[in-house]
Amino acid sequence: MKVNEQTPLQRSVCADANLGAGLGLKAEHLDDILALQCEKNALAGSQLWFEVHTENYFVAGGPRLAYLRAVRENFDLSFHGVGGSLGYDHQSMPEHIKQVKALINEFQPALVSEHAVWSRAGGAYFADLMPLPRTEDALRSLIEGVDRYQAGIGRRILIENPSNYLDFISEMDEPQFLVEAAQRSGCGLLIDINNLYISSKNTGIDARHYLSMIPADLVGEIHIAGHDPDPELGQALLIDSHASEVDMSVWALLEHALSIFGHKPVLVERDANIPPFAELMRERQTAQVYLDQLKTNVLSVDACVKGGR
Amino acid sequence: MAVSSYIDAFSVYLRTGDVSRMNDFCINVEDLKRMSVYRNGFYKGCIDALAANFPMCEKSIGSDNFKNIARLYVDHYPPEKGTLVGYGLNFPDFVEDFIAELEKQPEELKLSSTLVDLALLDYAWLLSLMSADATQALTAEKVTWLMNEGCDFTQSVVQLNASVGLLRVSVGTLDEWIGLKTNSNEVAQQEISISESALSDKSSFSDLVMFWRVHGSVQVRALSAPEWAVMHALHGKGGVLEEAFDAALMLDPNFDVSDFFSACIQNEILETDMARSES
Repeated sequence: MKVNEQTPLQRSVCADANLGAGLGLKAEHLDDILALQCEKNALAGSQLWFEVHTENYFVAGGPRLAYLRAVRENFDLSFHGVGGSLGYDHQSMPEHIKQVKALINEFQPALVSEHAVWSRAGGAYFADLMPLPRTEDALRSLIEGVDRYQAGIGRRILIENPSNYLDFISEMDEPQFLVEAAQRSGCGLLIDINNLYISSKNTGIDARHYLSMIPADLVGEIHIAGHDPDPELGQALLIDSHASEVDMSVWALLEHALSIFGHKPVLVERDANIPPFAELMRERQTAQVYLDQLKTNVLSVDACVKGGR
Repeated sequence: MAVSSYIDAFSVYLRTGDVSRMNDFCINVEDLKRMSVYRNGFYKGCIDALAANFPMCEKSIGSDNFKNIARLYVDHYPPEKGTLVGYGLNFPDFVEDFIAELEKQPEELKLSSTLVDLALLDYAWLLSLMSADATQALTAEKVTWLMNEGCDFTQSVVQLNASVGLLRVSVGTLDEWIGLKTNSNEVAQQEISISESALSDKSSFSDLVMFWRVHGSVQVRALSAPEWAVMHALHGKGGVLEEAFDAALMLDPNFDVSDFFSACIQNEILETDMARSES
């Protein structure tokens, strides 16, 4: 029996149509965000939400949790794990999951996600997102990790596609690998458009074909972020830096993805060279415009259909 | 292909830089140099975390020297948990061993032995910042209530709250650490308050230091020997308040128990289980 058959999971993760465009929560912006809360009426209907790296809140108490509580009072949150190592070495997962579950119980995030990667082996945590080979054996290991994680927290999660810098020997392509993992574990997918764009440039895959292979109903969230050329290899190797503004090519790919998947929560990520909050909010607003346009288009189609009857 | 073989080879590369075992798993061997993105990401994440967790150490010796030591630390003590929060538990001991090794090599860089104490102070500050919130603080209101109920609160078992950290460092190191901290731009963001009464007891060979957190802000203070005796008696599982004060009065019969107790109450350092106190 699969682990996730033992516990009925909440199936709400892909149904968060109320979430619009969100931002990664940065400590530098807490005062700005708390000030935003005072202008909550001005934000009505903006569907703004914030995402945090779950492991940054593995603390017993103190100001970090207090700030998160203050943000949670007025905004939805998404918990995005970076240290779960779903793809390999599940021995030390219980303690990790216990902490994730405690945070979920307190903050009730709208979304919970992790990565389709490995980061732990031989007792060491490698503190980065290492790609899995796309083989049947690796797929089984990933599914086991997702099963354990979902059973442990009692919720369905989303798993994110990795950034690829080179090709490893594989038995299937990445959409097939991720869709298989999702369908066999019951999880959803978080499609990182920047990762996909980087992978397409670094390894020559067709990003639009990739997106066409992903069933829309599996997608629960979309990420966009900035990337930078490698200092030595330049444009031949793009790095998932999250250190610059979102590239025009990534915006174009986002628009295409939304045309396929429909309305999904979109997160603007920024983890280095953090600009003023207002600057990030402008990027976030651009993403919200893409989502709003989608709604307008749907309304127009509805009107045409009703008018034609 | 077994995923374990791939990850074993990948792990060897991440730990040693030896990429040869990845030949079997890479489609284009010429691309193997791109593996450095993953190794660089691993080291950068760990070194950045150590710099964040030991900011006065870094400031004391400069970013480049700190990165060199931090990189060696990552080699010896890679993170084990799936988070970098609190990474560096063994860093002070590692720095001590590193300095001892440098001493044997006369032409190498020399580092002051106070770096070990700066590391201890940095880590104590971090632990206090991240510790559990006080849930049963002994407040002035509770003391008044206990007295009104006829309870002798000096017989209560009292504990220090989880944010309290006690440590000994070489004389003068706390002043050095405070000097580094107060000149830092980070101080305002972290809302640290340095007690003005943080005066070292220059008569001893070490500074007795206490960290604690009140209203989300970490405080630090040098303790006199009697103050240390009180805190030490209440540390861990806690102790009877009167016995803790007796320990202080043994060292200094003129120790002002009332004044020190008031300061502890104001700073919400003490915790007590009211149900136990009532009984």
